[in-house]
Amino acid sequence: MTGARRNPLRFWPQYVAVSPFFLLFAAFGLFPLAFSAWLAFHRWDGISPVTFAGFDQFRFLVADATFRKAVVNTIIIWIMATVPMLFMSLGLASMLNSVKRFRTLYQVILFLPSVTSIVAVVIFFKAIFDNQVGVVNQVLEAIGLSGVQWLNGYWTIKIVLAVIMTWQWVGYNAIIYYAGLQAISGEVYEAAKLDGAGPLRTFWSITVPLLRPVIIFTVVVSTIGGMQTFAEPQVLFGSNASINPNSGGPGQAGLTMVLYFYQQAFNNNNYGYGAAIAYGVFAIVAVFTLINWRITARAEK
Amino acid sequence: MNLSRRNLLLGSGLAALGAGALSACSTSAGGSGGSGGGSTSGLALWYWNGGLSDKVVEASKTQFPKDDIKPNKVGGDFKQKLQTTLTGGSFIPQITGVKGEDMPFFRSVADKFTDLNEFGAKDIAATQLAWKWAEAQTEDGKQLGFPIDIGPTATFYRADILEQAGLTSDPTAVAAATSTWDDFYAFGQELHGKVPASFPVPSLATVFQIIVGQLTNRFVGKDNTFTGGSDEMKQAWDTTVKAQALGINANAGQNLGPALAAGTIAMDLGAAWHALDISDAAPDTSGKWRIANNPVKPTNFGGSFLTIPSATEDKQAAFDVIKWILSTDNQGQAFTDATIFPADPAAWKLPALTGGDEFFGGQKTIDIFGPAGEKVPEQYVAASDSAVSAAYYNELTNVEANGKNPDQAWTDAVAAAKDIAQRQGVK
Repeated sequence: MTGARRNPLRFWPQYVAVSPFFLLFAAFGLFPLAFSAWLAFHRWDGISPVTFAGFDQFRFLVADATFRKAVVNTIIIWIMATVPMLFMSLGLASMLNSVKRFRTLYQVILFLPSVTSIVAVVIFFKAIFDNQVGVVNQVLEAIGLSGVQWLNGYWTIKIVLAVIMTWQWVGYNAIIYYAGLQAISGEVYEAAKLDGAGPLRTFWSITVPLLRPVIIFTVVVSTIGGMQTFAEPQVLFGSNASINPNSGGPGQAGLTMVLYFYQQAFNNNNYGYGAAIAYGVFAIVAVFTLINWRITARAEK
Repeated sequence: MNLSRRNLLLGSGLAALGAGALSACSTSAGGSGGSGGGSTSGLALWYWNGGLSDKVVEASKTQFPKDDIKPNKVGGDFKQKLQTTLTGGSFIPQITGVKGEDMPFFRSVADKFTDLNEFGAKDIAATQLAWKWAEAQTEDGKQLGFPIDIGPTATFYRADILEQAGLTSDPTAVAAATSTWDDFYAFGQELHGKVPASFPVPSLATVFQIIVGQLTNRFVGKDNTFTGGSDEMKQAWDTTVKAQALGINANAGQNLGPALAAGTIAMDLGAAWHALDISDAAPDTSGKWRIANNPVKPTNFGGSFLTIPSATEDKQAAFDVIKWILSTDNQGQAFTDATIFPADPAAWKLPALTGGDEFFGGQKTIDIFGPAGEKVPEQYVAASDSAVSAAYYNELTNVEANGKNPDQAWTDAVAAAKDIAQRQGVK
């Protein structure tokens, strides 16, 4: 090791071994990233020659009321989906941790929704929440309540989307929490028991603090995922795509940031503006991650 | 031509961006070189499921054995894939379909396509529908597409519900009673008054789409100026939202299928191909539907074209194949196989079209759609038209689903449309 100058080429087999990831990343990660940054300063319909647009696309973005609407929608849907979901996941994980039999079966069942095709899931939920013939409304009417126009209202659309996202990811997060719970040594619980702590006290004073790193992980992952919600509203309101594709439904209540990006770039052939939106989304996700990090870092102290 | 059945391009947004990004490198180098275009041998023909008759396409192989026709049913977002391929400059098909609603966009990049007039399209056009051929024509007279089908519009209605309301159910009489929008609404009010569970308007978008088709200018004018705030557009808007004020809008935009099956929609407005939507959604109502002329004058929704990309080497051979696939007899065959409504008026006289339609109680629907197809007004559709129009449809949904004030909705729609137009480079 000492003295001799190391020739990087000596390690070529190792470089070759790790190269697939970097080559794929360069082609499908780095290049699109750089190209869309370049595109955000240009005007391009996807086929004609590209023309320089300066900061026009970003000026449009700042003034775009629809983009603001999409940002607000995304944040609301994300909160509505993530907060109840993580609490439910934690509850499910604790329950899973305390069952003695069929544990693997429960794990499989919990994990199943997250590996189900999202298109199938959304089509299924669309039928359940149908304004007229949906199961939810039929149940409501059967118990004497009036049906709700789920797919029409500003809040109801967001509820439907949040329910879909919760259904799909609650089990996945529960499994992660369960893994975290397994790592907590039984001695800590025994000590708590000896000190006379009840189940609730044990949960808040032992389980939650010790699970903190895992919770932070799920919050960050859910934030990044939730900020990029796309397929759910795209499929949910795909039926009226002929005249106004990917609009996010009535009142554009289901228009998320990424769906708006998709609509502008791919339906309207406005790739320059699409790229500007993509960087707007990036900035917002970065800000949220920063906030998350600051909050959790402070709590750590 | 099924506008309503556009396939979903799910989750592949980022992948598509990657592909678009990669292929973009070659744009400045000039994608129309053609040397890399197409497969090395044979004649690749791109279309989408239901875009052409599969039987006719299959038969074209034996008709043109030398050309080695290779049909390719492209799934997913067809425009997206064709655009990416044309930009990329390789694996370009020798013949490709272009959907009617995408034609304004592809017409804006006319140099990617062949002028069919150079290969004899001009002689054929003389006997065809001028307005349909004009859709695929550039300002300087290049003919980019050969029409496959058209979508003339009409009023679809439930004869049984109209009779239940004590109204006439005869197509000629219904058309006469609904020849203006005011008459249509009055007729609809009477219908809804007598049969409260049924409505004459499925959604505001349904009406607006037809009225806009009847205007002299759509949202963007020929000189690339914004015309979405014009007086006639405001009038179209006012006429449309009146259906909401009168309480005769079923507001079934989100669930058209169940509403059709349940009889909530007693009258519907749509193109010839919409018949298939209705019979798919409500098979139990077979025999109860009829067709009449829609108010004022017919319009057109959709209707596709076959085109020859400029990268194609043997353009004459490609044109001969198109000419054969879209010959009068084969258009009749396409109607029988896949209810593709012929763009060639001569095909309307074929037995395949002149027979009665069981779903419409044996009515000879060609008697309505034929004359409608002849009368469709010619209208300029800009490449940015559908993007700009989105603002109006969004606000119409706000009016019907959330009770937004129609005047406020109009103001917001025009403001949003102007923004979109500006981003699209409209003056």
